[in-house]
Amino acid sequence: MRATDNQGSFLNRISIRRNQVVSMDGNHEQELEDLDLFQKHVADRFSDLLSSTSDDDSVLSIAWLRKLLDAFLCCEAEFKAVLLMGRDPSQISKPPLDRLVPEFLDRVVKALDVCNAAAHGVESVRHYQKLAEIVVAAFEQKPIGDGQVRRAKKALNSLMLTLEDKEGSTHKSAERTWSFGRRGAPSNKDRSTAGNFRSLSWTMSKGWSAAKQIQAMSANLVAPRGGESSGLALPVYIMSTIMVFVMWALVAAIPCQERNGLLTHFPVPRQLGWAQSMIVLQDRIAEEWKKKKEKNKLAGLLEETQRLERLGLSLIEFSDSFQFPGEAERLEEVAAQVSELSEICKKMEEGLVPLQQQIREVFHRVVRSRTEILDVLDQGGKMSAPTM
Amino acid sequence: MGDFSSVLHLCEGDQHVIAATQHLVKALGSSKILNDDLRKILSQLDSHLSSMNIITTESRGPGFREVEEQFRCSEEKIMGWESRQSFIWDCGPLEASQYLKSVHDIQTLVEGFRSLSVNEDRKHKELVNRAESLLQIAMSKLEEELIHILVKHKQYFEPEYMSFRSWRRDVVYDESFVSVEDIAFEEESQRNFCGSESEEYILDLVDPHVIPHLKSIADIMFASNYHQEFCQAFISARRDALEEYLIILKVEKLSIEDVLKMQWDSLSSKIKNWVRAMKIIIRYLASEKRLCDQISGDFGFVSPLCFADISKVSLLPLLSFGEAIAMETHGPEKLFCLLDMYEVVADNLLYIDTLFSEEAGAWVRIEFHELHRGLADTARATFMAFGNAIAANGSTSPFPKGAIHPLTKYVMNHISTLTIYCNALNVLLKDHDTADSNPPENGHSSSSLTYGHLACRLRSITSTLEFNLDCKSKLYKDAALQHIFLMNNFHYMVEKVKGSELRLFFGDDWIRKHIVKFQQHATSYQRATWSLVLSLLRDDGSASKASLNEKCRGFCIAFEEVYKSQTGWSIPDSQLREDLQISTSQKVVQAYRNFTGRNSSSIGDKYIKYTADDLQNYILDFFDGSPRSLQNSRWKEPAWF
Repeated sequence: MRATDNQGSFLNRISIRRNQVVSMDGNHEQELEDLDLFQKHVADRFSDLLSSTSDDDSVLSIAWLRKLLDAFLCCEAEFKAVLLMGRDPSQISKPPLDRLVPEFLDRVVKALDVCNAAAHGVESVRHYQKLAEIVVAAFEQKPIGDGQVRRAKKALNSLMLTLEDKEGSTHKSAERTWSFGRRGAPSNKDRSTAGNFRSLSWTMSKGWSAAKQIQAMSANLVAPRGGESSGLALPVYIMSTIMVFVMWALVAAIPCQERNGLLTHFPVPRQLGWAQSMIVLQDRIAEEWKKKKEKNKLAGLLEETQRLERLGLSLIEFSDSFQFPGEAERLEEVAAQVSELSEICKKMEEGLVPLQQQIREVFHRVVRSRTEILDVLDQGGKMSAPTM
Repeated sequence: MGDFSSVLHLCEGDQHVIAATQHLVKALGSSKILNDDLRKILSQLDSHLSSMNIITTESRGPGFREVEEQFRCSEEKIMGWESRQSFIWDCGPLEASQYLKSVHDIQTLVEGFRSLSVNEDRKHKELVNRAESLLQIAMSKLEEELIHILVKHKQYFEPEYMSFRSWRRDVVYDESFVSVEDIAFEEESQRNFCGSESEEYILDLVDPHVIPHLKSIADIMFASNYHQEFCQAFISARRDALEEYLIILKVEKLSIEDVLKMQWDSLSSKIKNWVRAMKIIIRYLASEKRLCDQISGDFGFVSPLCFADISKVSLLPLLSFGEAIAMETHGPEKLFCLLDMYEVVADNLLYIDTLFSEEAGAWVRIEFHELHRGLADTARATFMAFGNAIAANGSTSPFPKGAIHPLTKYVMNHISTLTIYCNALNVLLKDHDTADSNPPENGHSSSSLTYGHLACRLRSITSTLEFNLDCKSKLYKDAALQHIFLMNNFHYMVEKVKGSELRLFFGDDWIRKHIVKFQQHATSYQRATWSLVLSLLRDDGSASKASLNEKCRGFCIAFEEVYKSQTGWSIPDSQLREDLQISTSQKVVQAYRNFTGRNSSSIGDKYIKYTADDLQNYILDFFDGSPRSLQNSRWKEPAWF
């Protein structure tokens, strides 16, 4: 289900209420109510995300990531309403918000860079898709002969190479050949296997690291305690947590520059109602990440990528042992794998560009919110200045 | 062998149909009125027919041996190149065309086999397998050739050459207002170079003589259904070229965080470079698009897809830098660089829309529009903040000597530079406010600029400045100095407007009014300073010698005092200074001359300390900015000139 369902009414409520009661004491109670509602909506959205993993889209599939970004955009809109709409600007320039809001904005800037890296990373995934499509094209031509197998293998080798190339920081030479499928292959054709299909260069400056970026975003993320926990410090904390989680999930799923040492855990207090589903999701993704890291395969946890990788390995094996005209049983198996591959390619074809656009949408939305918050901070600063 | 013949055999009737159709296709193909789609279909049909021909003609009687013979010949050719290290197209056109012919033959054969019903015969299958395998080897080779040609024959253009259309000298982005002064203005008419897809705007990114080679590789790879490999190799090679070119253009990969933290001086040089790189890269993209069209334009949607994939992520660093700059609110001194950035995007927005008009390029189009919006918002906000900054510029002590305040200089220089960006600013401000709806009746001599959005804003900025100067003038205790200060500053404003493009925005009316203003302050100055002093010389009826002597003495003391203070005041503009000195002289010296002339018999010589000529000379020392004194040196000794 779309996460936007109850958003409109929520925003309306806030704006109407704020316009009605500007400076009365009753305001506080209603603000608490707004906060409750915000938390409830966050909880609902993430529980939707959790439950949607049980049916067709598993965690970190393209479709799921798109849902995640949808949820992010909705939470973000509500957060902004809670924080800014109809509010007296001086309120957010007082402690503890005078510290928390700038910290939040710092995280926003870091998130923007992660968005850029991820949008770029999606392009790498599209590159995998193109290579997989060649494999499909080769194997779909019947009967399968040496020509098709060699054609497929060339694309598969490139695919495995680019998948491996995205691992960690080491920029291995693209000339190195994928070692898996060398057995018995006619080798004079291998000289060009990888050269033409070099993966993309990164988009950030040399030292930039997605892992460090996520680390820095979560560094001073502390749940508000005591009196603060009922004030505006709470939504700032919630939104920060959502942002860190979403960016972290993107980095885990999509190849991003330098992911060595990516966090597998950031502290979200377990007793917070709105965080329950998020914690479960986080654990699940972290588990996957650890598994992949052990195998030293970090092309990304994107479900489609992982399936490509699995099928790719199996098809390379087939290609290596193939002898014309091939055994019927094995060929049937391959046909099934190829149709799975083709189905993944279709999913990628349908989902990757929209995902990329959505990441850009998040980027632009976050930029605009940052400007709005800065404007309010600016006003608040001016208003409170004479009293100092 | 007989098996093969039976598979491949077509009856004689079919032969005639094929021959006739082929003839028809050739005749149609030579027609000039065909569109590309039709032409493509015909060429496919033609190749299909000839493949049938090979099979059919050769299949008659002993012909199949010839098929095998031909196959072996092609195989030899193709495999021969596999053991060689050199590239086919490097070895001359003959080698290339022979190779292509061999591939074409194989491809036709494969095509023919595929189009016929599949026979379960083992021998037949083996031949197909060999042919397909050979085709794959050839395709792989062609892919290498393609990349080799693209890399070897790529052409870059000196950025200087690419940007020769740059339409105005660069504005110096500097925080100090001194350097903003005297920026040369150039006519706007030189603009407007983009939007039209003129040929000279497009350059050859690959040596033109290899285009047919690339095209022939594309044709055979597409015909053999290896278009994906072709596109991947082509995109990859061209993307590398673009990334290399971005490095040549010094486009750095900076994170947004880096940009936001950067010091202004390094940022300003990066902005300059960005503007330059953007102008060039758009030209480059136009050329890239043509290259894609030249090579793969015949294959429908392929060309825009390739073009979008080549450009997309490579543009990300450029776009992201722009976004980062647009994210920050800036001081007024940074408005120029924002406007430069805004302009280069705004001017090319339509062109980008044309370049990336297909669905595949939507991403680039959207990003450019977002960037355009972001830069517009920030530039507008920065411009608006300028007025507020002027209003907020307060002083606590009077500006020395009543001279021209730095704020006046800064504002006037700033806005005169803004006029270079007239078009952009008019667009930016259009949504924000409404222009003067009722231009004054006598405005016929003014240009239309006078009533544009920018003009209104500029006049409102100078009003704010005038108001601020008025406040600043109140800080002087001496009313006369207040007037000197305002006269100086208003005069400066008028001169600045008259001497620059600003006159077109402010109009004659504004200039006239402001000339009157500073002249009024000159008059007021004279009144404030001299009324009292000259009243000492007034004839009040008592002609007693003592009182006349006293009057004369009093006048001299008063004059000395004025001299002492007003030589320290400053009127930087020599013409204005002279004018004021002359009119002061006329007034004061004349009154003094009349007084002394009228009463020459009554006033003692020792009381006439200065001659009228002395006063005239002393007045020339006024407003020089260096205080002097007459008292000590001259009072005790009588006249000595």
